[in-house]
Amino acid sequence: MSTVNHEELTELKRLKRQRKLREDINLFLFLLPAMVFVLIFIAFPVVYSGYLSLTKYKFGIDPVPKFIFFRGYIERFHDDFFLTSLKNQAIFAVLYFSITFLASLILAILINELTHGVQVFQVIFYLPMIIPMSLVGITFAWLLSPINGFANIIIRNVTHNPRFMFDWYQEPQTALVGLIIARSWKMVGFTLIIFIAGLKGINKSLREAAKVDGSTFWQEVKWIIIPNLKPYMLISSIWILINSLKVFDLVKVVTEGGPGIRTYTLYYYAWKLAFERMDFGQASQVSYITAAIILILAAVLNLIFRPETAEKG
Amino acid sequence: MKPEEATIKIKKSKNSLSYGSLIKVFYAAVTVFAVIYIFPVIWIFITSIRPNSDIHKFPPSIIPQALTIQNYVYVFTGMKGFLRYFLNSVVVTSATVVFVLISSALSGYAFGMRKFKGNQILFMLVLSVLTIPYIMYLIPIYIMEYKMGLTDTYLGLILPYVALNLPWGLLIMRGAFSTIPLDIRDAAIVDGCSEFRMVFQVLIPIVKPAFVTTTIITFVFAWQEFMFASTINKRNEWQTLPVGIVWLRDELQTMAMGRVGAAIILSIIPVIILFLVFRKFFIEGLSEGMLKG
Repeated sequence: MSTVNHEELTELKRLKRQRKLREDINLFLFLLPAMVFVLIFIAFPVVYSGYLSLTKYKFGIDPVPKFIFFRGYIERFHDDFFLTSLKNQAIFAVLYFSITFLASLILAILINELTHGVQVFQVIFYLPMIIPMSLVGITFAWLLSPINGFANIIIRNVTHNPRFMFDWYQEPQTALVGLIIARSWKMVGFTLIIFIAGLKGINKSLREAAKVDGSTFWQEVKWIIIPNLKPYMLISSIWILINSLKVFDLVKVVTEGGPGIRTYTLYYYAWKLAFERMDFGQASQVSYITAAIILILAAVLNLIFRPETAEKG
Repeated sequence: MKPEEATIKIKKSKNSLSYGSLIKVFYAAVTVFAVIYIFPVIWIFITSIRPNSDIHKFPPSIIPQALTIQNYVYVFTGMKGFLRYFLNSVVVTSATVVFVLISSALSGYAFGMRKFKGNQILFMLVLSVLTIPYIMYLIPIYIMEYKMGLTDTYLGLILPYVALNLPWGLLIMRGAFSTIPLDIRDAAIVDGCSEFRMVFQVLIPIVKPAFVTTTIITFVFAWQEFMFASTINKRNEWQTLPVGIVWLRDELQTMAMGRVGAAIILSIIPVIILFLVFRKFFIEGLSEGMLKG
């Protein structure tokens, strides 16, 4: 009796081991396709461009990357083009962030109060999300073009000055702002979606109770809506932030970095270094610095919005 | 008792009154904003139905003096590249979506329903992809594809697009799979179903909404991508729409804005139709995708 039991037990154990092995193989197979993509096209590039950033390497000229440690990074901070790009990028990020965040927050709060036509409004504000940035760029360049641009025609008619001709995207004062507006135009829909989702999640009885207590709309916004939206604000801020650094197509299509280097952004400069000067070492330095900036800013945003989200549990 | 009730009523009616007029102001504000917002699209459309002589006459006018469909005819007959760009965009986008769906569903199941060592760490690593600037991937990918002869091919774009969208798909799929009760899985396995068959026949039908979400997010990305498309594929016949139309503009210069406008409108109309038809999925899909990120 006991021997049979023992035999059964070992048999059972063997089967269990076999099954475990089969499950492990399955697990491996399930993960394989995704992991192959991630390893080859994500992990390897991150490591390799990290290596390139420590080298001097002109693609097609230098036979192999020459190791120079952190000298490249030090050089970048004495590189006027880089410093200008950094400055432009900072202006871009701050203005773009403020415009997109405020516009979508206010719009979301307003739309949330409406009962009719909400669908139509949503379609209008979401539409730019599906128009490629490069085509948005062409459209805005056309709207703001010097002779036939809509903006200038209007200004000519209003000021009765038929000679008015202002090249918005080639003038140093307005070029960058013009790009920011085009970029925000496309982005507002995304953050609007996030805020509207957040507003829908607010308990209606809260606001009704406030109304019974005689609160005004602005009080409700201040004491109910804004505090409840905090977690959504964090999400949309991180989104806007990550997007505010991804400025390449717009610059490439509309201004090519001009006038001068007034609209160079970090992405654009990195791309230009890489694929016009074929200097992969310098370009990798710029992209690594950009990544560091994103990580630092994301951490800061997390700190700003953390307390409320933690309270909510 | 009575006076109190009365004051509440007064307060309420006062409030609802001010609310009523406030709502009217809101309608007005949102409408004005919406008109300004949609205007660039309308303006490019108006431009596309004006003859060149009307667009570029001096002094320029806002209201069209003449209308034409010549620009649209030209896009189909005179513009060599347009249809090719469109085809390229369709091929690259749909292939990307299919690859992302398959690989993210398989590993989404593994991350969501199988407990294994390093599950969390591996998942976080994959997600960190989303915060890294894409330009960092571009240089090594360009070197690799250049050496493997993948530049100026569909595959040269599809492969990196899949990799960049996988984290999204994974995030959404893992979320969907982890809501499925493990009993369903165990029951199927006890019935003698192999794990792969179980995933495909039992589980995937349950997480259909996650497939829709992933499709939309991937589509929105791949249809619009510019940086990889313009860098990896240099030859004209391999360009996708966002890059190709810029080429057309540079070739025609600004004096042919009517034609470029027509090309822009034609390239966005199919997407607008898709967007209108699947509006609900689009909005839900994007909001779910972004909130999870």
